[in-house]
Amino acid sequence: MKARSAFSIQRDVVFAIFVREMITRFSTYTLGNIWLVLEPLLMMILFMLIFGARGRGAFGFVEAPVFIFAAFLPFRILWTATMRQCASARGSAKGLLEYRQVRLFDVFMARTFIEGGLFIVVGIILGLGMMWLDYEPWPNNLLLTLSYCVILWLMAASFGMLAGMIGSVAREVEKLVSMLTMPLMFMSAVFFPMSIVPKQYWVYLTWNPILHAMELIREAWFGNYISPVADFNYLISAMVVLLAFAMSAYRLTWRRIVAK
Amino acid sequence: MIRFSNVSKYFPTRFGPRYVLKNLNLEIPDDRDVAILGTNGAGKSTLLRLVGGIDFPSEGKIISDRFISWPLALSSGLQSSLTGRENVRFICRIHGVRANRETEEYVKEFSELGDNFELPVRSYSSGMKSKYSFAVSMGFDFDTYLMDEIMSVGDSGFKKKCENAISNKRENANIILVSHNMALIRRQCNAAILLAYGRADFYESVDQAIFRYQSL
Repeated sequence: MKARSAFSIQRDVVFAIFVREMITRFSTYTLGNIWLVLEPLLMMILFMLIFGARGRGAFGFVEAPVFIFAAFLPFRILWTATMRQCASARGSAKGLLEYRQVRLFDVFMARTFIEGGLFIVVGIILGLGMMWLDYEPWPNNLLLTLSYCVILWLMAASFGMLAGMIGSVAREVEKLVSMLTMPLMFMSAVFFPMSIVPKQYWVYLTWNPILHAMELIREAWFGNYISPVADFNYLISAMVVLLAFAMSAYRLTWRRIVAK
Repeated sequence: MIRFSNVSKYFPTRFGPRYVLKNLNLEIPDDRDVAILGTNGAGKSTLLRLVGGIDFPSEGKIISDRFISWPLALSSGLQSSLTGRENVRFICRIHGVRANRETEEYVKEFSELGDNFELPVRSYSSGMKSKYSFAVSMGFDFDTYLMDEIMSVGDSGFKKKCENAISNKRENANIILVSHNMALIRRQCNAAILLAYGRADFYESVDQAIFRYQSL
């Protein structure tokens, strides 16, 4: 056996878990791994059909399916799925932790990368489909959109890690987090832009950093939308604080979590 | 060399901390094959997990410069929905072994599983599982192999094969073994650690350790 650097061990381990997770997640289903892409794809198509059926240009600045595309795709995959996958990583990592080079953090990383990859793949498939149907789905400013997406993604991973770690002490947290998903969709301006929300209600919503991420993504995605509330500094500070919290909580508690 | 310095391990319970190991100072030399003896609940498996680096001492330190295997127990660390081959591939990846084909074929042959190697581990019987996990561990070159009751299952032909494989590995590796099979320990080990009365004592002579263990 050859001695490896810490970095190459981690890279090997994260890659191995990445592949293993992809193989096992839907292995008991008839269609198998196709579900990895099919699940978010079907969900997105359903949303687009439901909202698209109400007519075009729902909010004045863009066609309804494109609006749904730009909002639900980041929210469902980068936020909800990444967060949930990280929060539930602890339970499914049990067998993996029998190997000394595998740490819980590698499982977090692998799962986060899977969701990131799914976001890109599903986005490209859907985008091509919409181009075929004569929509203009692609972001106006691709790089800026993707950087906001990355911030949202890291925030989701941090929140998920924190939830998972607190959940190892009090399992109730898992329940709370899964209950939170639905109201969070309303509170994060996912299926409406903040420009249609009356000014006096902004104060109840703008504390939520996910809302800022959604609004900023929308701004970068559609050239003609300017969000009345989006605040990049607030979003990035929230992300950094959450990430720092998650990392330090992990550092302080991972041995205890593993021992359980 | 694997050195324990002031190692304590306790599990928090509602009756307060329950110590499994307390202030353990121990050195396992490289050229010794060590059996760990002790009654049920004495901390044999915990000691093995501590050496294996998948559990951590509550106090103290374990220092080693060797490549130590994962503690080989029945079906530990195997994903039951993956096939035998996929599990080997995973273990190759996390150990940085790029030539995973060779290891896969070696394990397939050693484990005598035949076509079952391509089926999910879930479908294996316990005998097959023990053969398989033993074969997997033999596919990798470690300096120290940790074994938790792994050789007590399987048919007699396979047992002989296992012991031969270990003897071959022994040229540049040693084993640490947990077992209740005294004959096996006498054959395979030339030192022992006896866990009793909250202490761990290192014995150069297996017979002496077994005698002490049996008169506990």
